[in-house]
Amino acid sequence: MADHLDAPGLMSPNGNAKTDITDIYAFQKSGDNDKSILILNVNPLAPTLATEFESNGLYQLKIDTNGDARAEIAFRIQFTPVVNGQQWATVRRAVGEDANADENSGEIIIKRAPVSFGSQAHVTKSGPYKFFAGIRSDPFFFDLIGFLHNFHFTGSDFFLDKNVFGIVLEVPNKTLGDNPNIGIWARTLLSTGDADGDANDYTHDDRMGRPAINTVFNHGQAKNVFNAIDPIQDRAQFESSFIGTLESFGYSADQADAIADILLPDILMYNYNSSAGYLNGRKLTDDVIDISLKLVTNGQITTDGVGPHTDYLNHFPYLGQPH
Amino acid sequence: MNKLNRRKFLALAGAGSAAVTTGGAITLANLGQTKGNTLTFRAVAGLPSRLLPAYASYVIEGHVNLETRSGVVTQTLYAGEPGEMSRIAFPGQSRIVRITDAQDLGGTFRIVGVIDDRSQLQNGESSTFDILLDPAQHIGRTSFFGSELLLHLEG
Repeated sequence: MADHLDAPGLMSPNGNAKTDITDIYAFQKSGDNDKSILILNVNPLAPTLATEFESNGLYQLKIDTNGDARAEIAFRIQFTPVVNGQQWATVRRAVGEDANADENSGEIIIKRAPVSFGSQAHVTKSGPYKFFAGIRSDPFFFDLIGFLHNFHFTGSDFFLDKNVFGIVLEVPNKTLGDNPNIGIWARTLLSTGDADGDANDYTHDDRMGRPAINTVFNHGQAKNVFNAIDPIQDRAQFESSFIGTLESFGYSADQADAIADILLPDILMYNYNSSAGYLNGRKLTDDVIDISLKLVTNGQITTDGVGPHTDYLNHFPYLGQPH
Repeated sequence: MNKLNRRKFLALAGAGSAAVTTGGAITLANLGQTKGNTLTFRAVAGLPSRLLPAYASYVIEGHVNLETRSGVVTQTLYAGEPGEMSRIAFPGQSRIVRITDAQDLGGTFRIVGVIDDRSQLQNGESSTFDILLDPAQHIGRTSFFGSELLLHLEG
């Protein structure tokens, strides 16, 4: 799986599906190369495990503009509690050291955007930005059961009829920094209250850059550790175990070391001047599992036999209607 | 919009019969004879069983009467690896096996059965069930999609 249920026991991190990241995507807007689409999906199997966004948490898309594995820009989405069946989002854009902090800082760029709980997508426009949040069809595709059955793939897409809660942002490329080569990851936070009386404090919940990293490479409690740390700590903490996994698939030590250096830190690289897909950003239709299977298994397994869904939209918010 | 709540999810998972044959290493838990000729056992395997971390636990458990050579065994795929197993079963991945033969081979047990409800069998999945248990070695063997699966017996 991409990042669905990436805590031990195939559960959501901290048992909270609302902030359980399933996937992130980043791609050029079709027909407007000066804009990009950023998508952060959460809540696997929605609405089975959770029916709303977490109002005691924070959803973030972190942008590394200089290759130091630290965020220089962050888009932060905070949701109100559900009242009378409605929930609202505020989106902030933080820069500099504020982008690295675990707090709800930054300039408000979108206010009081309604969450969509039904089939109709309520899109909010604010200046150069577009925003959507709500339940949609899960765009991820994978023969999960075939994978569990020791790679005996049957071409059955486990996610074909599943939903997620999607957060979609259309942003001008200039808001992603002057350097077109950026790195992106998502980080969700859970509030721990306001102990010091100034603002809510937060703790790390889930984290994801590329698909199928934490879920595929890490065992047991290592999954929780991976979620808790920041990308800048990835190599120190996890490079040796990643190399071990890669060597078990037949890579030499040098090859495994080189690939681990690509996979870590877990950041999705994206050149916003390029429309190429994964590993440059990630489009909804990119078959990231096939790419990952080939890479991780050293070519022993090349496909799971399933392809992109047919319900993606060719316009904002791009995610298909919920099932 | 189809709403699938947790209760329905679990009901779907547990209701039907389910099949699983695996091809990796299984852990057999809690094997022992109770009440005379009734053999009770529980087996757990992490899946996938090769190289990558296990996401799920494949559980084989049941009761077999060694005298009448009959009984029922269930096969269930639970979310979470062994040791971190949840109680959430994957929909459509459970099977009920009707035991058709059981033999005490002098310390090891061969149990044979059939999955009567074949509607949920996957491509390449056999409707027959055959497992060899060796309590002394804490191991067992079965086949899983054409590959041998090594079982480890606990308890």
